[in-house]
Amino acid sequence: MLPSAVIEKLPHRRMEAWKWTDVRRAVRDEVSGLSSVMTPRFTAPDGVSVTQGAAHPSDHVMGRLAQSFSDQSWNIYIPRGAKAAEPVLIEDMNRGHGRFAVMVDEGAEATFVEYHKGKAGSFANIEQNIHLAKGAKLIRIIVQDDPDDMTRIATSCIAAAEGTKLEQYILSFGGALTRLETRLYGEGANIEAVMNGAYLLSGSKHTDMTSHTELSHPDCYIRQSVKGVVTDKAKAVFQGKFLVRRDAQHTDAEMRHDALMLSERAEVRAKPELEIYADDVACAHGNTIGALDDSALFYMRQRGISLAEAKALLTEAFLASVFDDMDDEDMRESLMGQIKNWLGASYGV
Amino acid sequence: MLKINNLHAVVGEAESQILTGLSLDVPAGEVHAIMGPNGAGKSTLSYVLTGRDGYEVTDGSVELGGKDLLDMEPEDRAAAGLFLSFQYPLEIPGVPTMTFLKTALNAQRRARGQEEMAAPEFLKKARAIASELKIKPDMLKRPLNVGFSGGEKKRMEIFQMMMLGPSFIVMDETDSGLDVDALRIVADGVNSLRSPERGMLIITHYQRLLDYITPDKVHVLAGGKIAASGDADFARLLEKEGYDKYAA
Repeated sequence: MLPSAVIEKLPHRRMEAWKWTDVRRAVRDEVSGLSSVMTPRFTAPDGVSVTQGAAHPSDHVMGRLAQSFSDQSWNIYIPRGAKAAEPVLIEDMNRGHGRFAVMVDEGAEATFVEYHKGKAGSFANIEQNIHLAKGAKLIRIIVQDDPDDMTRIATSCIAAAEGTKLEQYILSFGGALTRLETRLYGEGANIEAVMNGAYLLSGSKHTDMTSHTELSHPDCYIRQSVKGVVTDKAKAVFQGKFLVRRDAQHTDAEMRHDALMLSERAEVRAKPELEIYADDVACAHGNTIGALDDSALFYMRQRGISLAEAKALLTEAFLASVFDDMDDEDMRESLMGQIKNWLGASYGV
Repeated sequence: MLKINNLHAVVGEAESQILTGLSLDVPAGEVHAIMGPNGAGKSTLSYVLTGRDGYEVTDGSVELGGKDLLDMEPEDRAAAGLFLSFQYPLEIPGVPTMTFLKTALNAQRRARGQEEMAAPEFLKKARAIASELKIKPDMLKRPLNVGFSGGEKKRMEIFQMMMLGPSFIVMDETDSGLDVDALRIVADGVNSLRSPERGMLIITHYQRLLDYITPDKVHVLAGGKIAASGDADFARLLEKEGYDKYAA
């Protein structure tokens, strides 16, 4: 397929779900990866298998595009009852179309760590189909940091069976255009999910965190908190939707998006949505966009802390809660370390 | 030590004139109190001295230890030794008290060209001062001032003051929100910092605090300038007679 033909298939701003993230406009036909297949690198602990095989058809716009380049996917299998001691690492997702199918079988537990770090002038399109079988537990840690001329769309569709647990933590530093989309489909009762994310954007970077959570069975518990900071001319998009069907009684779901805007030219677009058909549920959403507190900044400066350092400390404290629930202290420290580095560089500490 | 000369300042976008030619000299080793009615400009003085945004000096000068304060950023004034105990200490969510204070202390030391204080030494000092002020160690791990009572916040101001060891201290209505026991603890802390090298300015509406911290001089601030001055006994007279005769 010619690059120009690929561009024709990319979603654009006249499509409601893509109105703030116009992929078609962002991509030029000279970028690399537009019509090639991705070659990711895996590090998998004993007992976890990674193979290539026939992929399931996709029903998502970017998934269908990936499908037109390969009918194969990388299939990662966590066997029934397995509790992987080490995380599964996925790296080198730096350009091209990549398809992944993950199966965490009954009662199995796994942690996935994904590094989405691309090369200058590239395009990456990642489709992940994840299936959590009954009682499975999956922790996903996703770190994304691309050059400012790279476009990346990563779409995860997660089907969760009864009694499954999902914890997802995203840390995004953006790119020319970055969209990290999560679609969670509850296929049983008693699902627990934490879907948190933080974005830190400077220059003219763009991150879009879109999620769609669909519940059709009772007694599910969802917590979602996305926090971010934008400076310069950066742009952040948050779209979150909870769709609670009639049989999903006693759903307890909460969605929050909180952003700090540190420049007049930065932009934050937020669209939290609840669509509820069950009558005995507790669902809430909240959205705030604000600046750092001037009084707190002055107080810190009066104690001798420089303005840049005061801003960095307050921003770090603001973002930290996103990763509070992580059990893996070292991983949490590593994510906070990356946040500190970004703050140091962006605020000039 | 602190020399304020003919200070004029305006506040906010309306540029209302709050200080109208205030002059005051606090030599090293002395404690001066500033009393006055509400709206006299007491808090404005504390913010002008520390360089808060929105407080603009239109005339006059302020020197601390021979250095021109008005040209400096707030953090540089702090490094030069100026400390303000806030009337309403701010809550800093997510930043543990110890992290905050260690960052502040070492930022000041760096600015003065001194070595940073190592963690063990810092901890030891913090524990000793906390116990002196009857602050539970647990409170030092919590985000600064978040969920603290008014009295706890004031005690935390004194804790910070003793940790940072400034050369000049401004206390803005430190007694408000304190019961008698807390007032005594706070006053003991302040008195322990009195030294020949250090000056203090105590801003207060009531004379109560001055029963515990005896000032060398007492000034009345009214209409944006010093309207009268006297010794420690003058505070009691003011408390009895009120500020009416100084009102502009």
